[in-house]
Amino acid sequence: MDWGVIGRNLEFMAGGLLLTFQLAGLAVAGGLIAGIVLGLCRVSSLSWIYYPASVYVHFFRSQPLILVIFWFYFLVPILVGKPLGAFLSTVIAFICFESAYFAEIVRGGLQSVSRGQVMAAYACGLRTLQVQLHVVLPQALRNMIPALTTQAVVIFQDTSLAYVIGLREFLRRVNLVDTREMRSVELFLFAGLVYLILCSAGSQLARRLEQRRVGLAV
Amino acid sequence: MIEIRHVSLWYGDGRKVVDDVSAQIGRGQTVVICGPSGSGKSSLLRCINGLERFQEGEILVDGISVRDPGTDIHRLRAEIGMVFQHFELYPHLTVLENITLAPRKVRKKSKGEAQDKAMELLHRVGIPEKALSYPGQLSGGQQQRVAIARSLAMEPKAMLFDEPTSALDPEMIKEVLDVMVDLARSGMTMVVVSHEMGFAKEVADEVIFMDGGRFLEHKRTADFFASPENPRTTEFLSRILV
Repeated sequence: MDWGVIGRNLEFMAGGLLLTFQLAGLAVAGGLIAGIVLGLCRVSSLSWIYYPASVYVHFFRSQPLILVIFWFYFLVPILVGKPLGAFLSTVIAFICFESAYFAEIVRGGLQSVSRGQVMAAYACGLRTLQVQLHVVLPQALRNMIPALTTQAVVIFQDTSLAYVIGLREFLRRVNLVDTREMRSVELFLFAGLVYLILCSAGSQLARRLEQRRVGLAV
Repeated sequence: MIEIRHVSLWYGDGRKVVDDVSAQIGRGQTVVICGPSGSGKSSLLRCINGLERFQEGEILVDGISVRDPGTDIHRLRAEIGMVFQHFELYPHLTVLENITLAPRKVRKKSKGEAQDKAMELLHRVGIPEKALSYPGQLSGGQQQRVAIARSLAMEPKAMLFDEPTSALDPEMIKEVLDVMVDLARSGMTMVVVSHEMGFAKEVADEVIFMDGGRFLEHKRTADFFASPENPRTTEFLSRILV
């Protein structure tokens, strides 16, 4: 065992971790915003809104993430006529993919708000979008906090898949160090520990938020 | 003010919930609808502001058809307040925000203007000190009074009450009824689904007994209690007026 390998390459690997955080952050933010729009479409009673959103959600949920990452890397440059680069194409792939999962969480959350609330909002003269925006969505988001944080933690782990197109995120860099130093056991134990600590922190945050939510629902 | 013409409503399974009912409610009148549960009272009430669609007949509110696809139903609803059995205050908003939401979003009032009006209404229903509380911190009776204030904030032409006291503990019923009596005396047009016969006797102009989706008895209040014609009415009254 030579644990010194970690110290020697810490800066290089930390740089990858930063990229991992950036990717995960953008994927969660973009995926959530797109997911809210899609989720709202999924509860719409208008078929021209409901069906396209449903097809989108079903499609992306039926594809492996790794394949989606490939597509965007190889297909999008053909469509837009110039290469996007590994980072941007991965960000777009993640947002498109994760928004389908967020959409289902949002849909569940919207449906958890009672019919009586919706009726009361309509009875005051609010229009459909106002009812969703001011009455249903805030309550739904509060109900969704546990599922959303869990999904964010999953996304954080999934960013490691970006290695397939050569994006030098955390795990990719650990791998690069390994090819140079041949210290697989130490390096991959270290990588596992880093994911364990960060994801545990995420779950802990989720639990906190949930307790706060329960506290509010007096 | 509210004209109900031969309205029928049935659900997908063909069960008729409201069966050819008609009534006219004049401006400033209070009408109480009573009857056993499942008799279609609440469904009929929801038809009046378009929360429920009916298949036959017509309802006019101030001459405007509820059913006509050309009617802006949202604008019509803004003119009709509604109070629910389970209050349905928005739990994530304070009392003040509950009351000011629709005036600000629908009537486009400024925040200050909406809040002034809200405070005036909270004084009227007797709980101005609760303005910054959340609904979950209020008793049932207080919540229902806020719900009434929320409806009044839109300055509606008519108010619909769907069993406003049946989810309340007995000691809280009076505080809500007092507000409603006050409102009826102030000249508000009101349709009240309720079993509070004391309230009906005190302020209702007419009382309707509904069962199986039909109006079995529809009389001026004094006549309704003094000389009901339908044996079902008599039986119902004897059971709730213990």
